[in-house]
Amino acid sequence: MPDPVILSVGASPVGDSELTGRDLFSVALAEAFENLPDPAGIVDALYVGNQSESYEHQIMYGTLLAEWAGLRHVPAERVEGCAAAGALALRHAVRDVRSGQCDVVLACGVEKMTAGGTAGATEALSAAFDRALEQRSGITAPSQYALLAERYCHETGATEEELARVAVKNHSNAARNPRAQYQSEIDAETVLESPYVARPLKLFDCAPVSDGAAAVVIASEEVAATLVDSEETVRASGVGAGSNNLAVAERDLTFVEGAHRAARGAYEEAGVEASEIDVAEVHDAFTVCEPLLAEAVGFAPRRAGVECALEPGERSDGWSDVELSTSGGLKARGHPIGATGLYQAIEAYEQLTGRAGDRQVEGAKRALCVNEGGVADAVTVAHVLEAT
Amino acid sequence: MTGRERGDGESPRRVKPEDLTAESPFTLPGFFAALSDGRLLGGRCDECEQAFVPPRPACYACGSREIAVEEQPREGTILTNTEVARPAPAFAADAPLTIAIVELDSGVRLTGRVAADYEEVEIGTPVELTVRELTDQEKEFALDHEEEWPLHVFEPA
Ligand SMILES: [Zn+2]
Repeated sequence: MPDPVILSVGASPVGDSELTGRDLFSVALAEAFENLPDPAGIVDALYVGNQSESYEHQIMYGTLLAEWAGLRHVPAERVEGCAAAGALALRHAVRDVRSGQCDVVLACGVEKMTAGGTAGATEALSAAFDRALEQRSGITAPSQYALLAERYCHETGATEEELARVAVKNHSNAARNPRAQYQSEIDAETVLESPYVARPLKLFDCAPVSDGAAAVVIASEEVAATLVDSEETVRASGVGAGSNNLAVAERDLTFVEGAHRAARGAYEEAGVEASEIDVAEVHDAFTVCEPLLAEAVGFAPRRAGVECALEPGERSDGWSDVELSTSGGLKARGHPIGATGLYQAIEAYEQLTGRAGDRQVEGAKRALCVNEGGVADAVTVAHVLEAT
Repeated sequence: MTGRERGDGESPRRVKPEDLTAESPFTLPGFFAALSDGRLLGGRCDECEQAFVPPRPACYACGSREIAVEEQPREGTILTNTEVARPAPAFAADAPLTIAIVELDSGVRLTGRVAADYEEVEIGTPVELTVRELTDQEKEFALDHEEEWPLHVFEPA
């Protein structure tokens, strides 16, 4: 079986942009193919992660972006899975290459969330909840995560201040990421004094509304070797995916099982252990997500996940030395929903190829990306990526 | 209060295509019609005993399709709750909303509004399920087929 690698990456800056979704994709495409032949000469298929047509009133993003890239002749489709759409697109690309069906596949994601303002985003994101009982009760995305946060704090003794420190850490990382939406540090007081959005979560516990597009080019190792130096590539050695109930009420409220299964699948395929992961991008849409995911993917002992905000050496026994959300995470890098999974892979690529600048983790060899969709682990995709 | 509804004298059994009418509790129109009559119907897996609302064709815990329909108790306990400062536009008039995940005495869990201020309830508070029609405001945002579907609301017991 061919070994899939990341051949190249590109992305627009994340933030509130004047550009539309297709324009943001053009930015990502231009960067990703800066040193490559035309996409038409090498790309065999295209997948687009995209959450919602309600922002731009545009479906058919597969066809549109294929046309934009000069790829009208290849199969192209939009992949839907709310905020996991990006990693689902990446997973399709990896599997197409591993199966031998394709030599090179373009995985991308695009979202123009600011088009409808905060109310538009609230409305669009609520479509990810169960319509029958959850949506009709008036619940919003922050309040769904607040239900998880309230229970997590109740069972583990974690405090609002500890959750605030997750936001502080991720802003500090984003301050060193030129792609990030918020390139500024904040202190815990800023988080704690921000207004409640849904108790116990406050404004600064939440990822922002973001525009952005990202592209990751997956190729077989053999074909990649004809196009770039091998040290510029990163192995996509393991991928796992898993679903959980759509309605949050029916899940384990303090253990994101879907993410646990997805990560385990990725570890098994790659033949690695959680303890061997050096850097990880986890789906910190809200501060409470990072501790929940740290526990579910095996970095932290149960109930100790909230120590994710501490330096590796300061955490309890049983914690791995992984560096979490070096990009700034969804919280501060920004969260253009359908593109987020690709931004995670781009951070892993930059860390594993030594291109992460001021936020470079020395000696990073293995990365885990965990991308969730719906509320928390309604669907999760995990990728293990390794330096060549 | 909890009782099994047996069809053809040999329930539970797999639902058949012809069972799935708008009167069946295995469909949302049937589930909400029963709720309008004050009956919250759930499914219970005959293999593993997992219970859930609404009823569905297979058990999420074990995959079995042998599902019995059971009327649910109204009494339950708050597992977690929050206050929605800015709800979706359909519910803006009622903001802030108190919302909770409740475990009914049957083990079924569901999310719903709580007719109380956030400060009045907490994890462990006993609640009772009530059912009401949609308000005019809520009906505006409902899809055509949802307008007559009632809303479940928990009240502190
Ligand atoms: Zn079962």
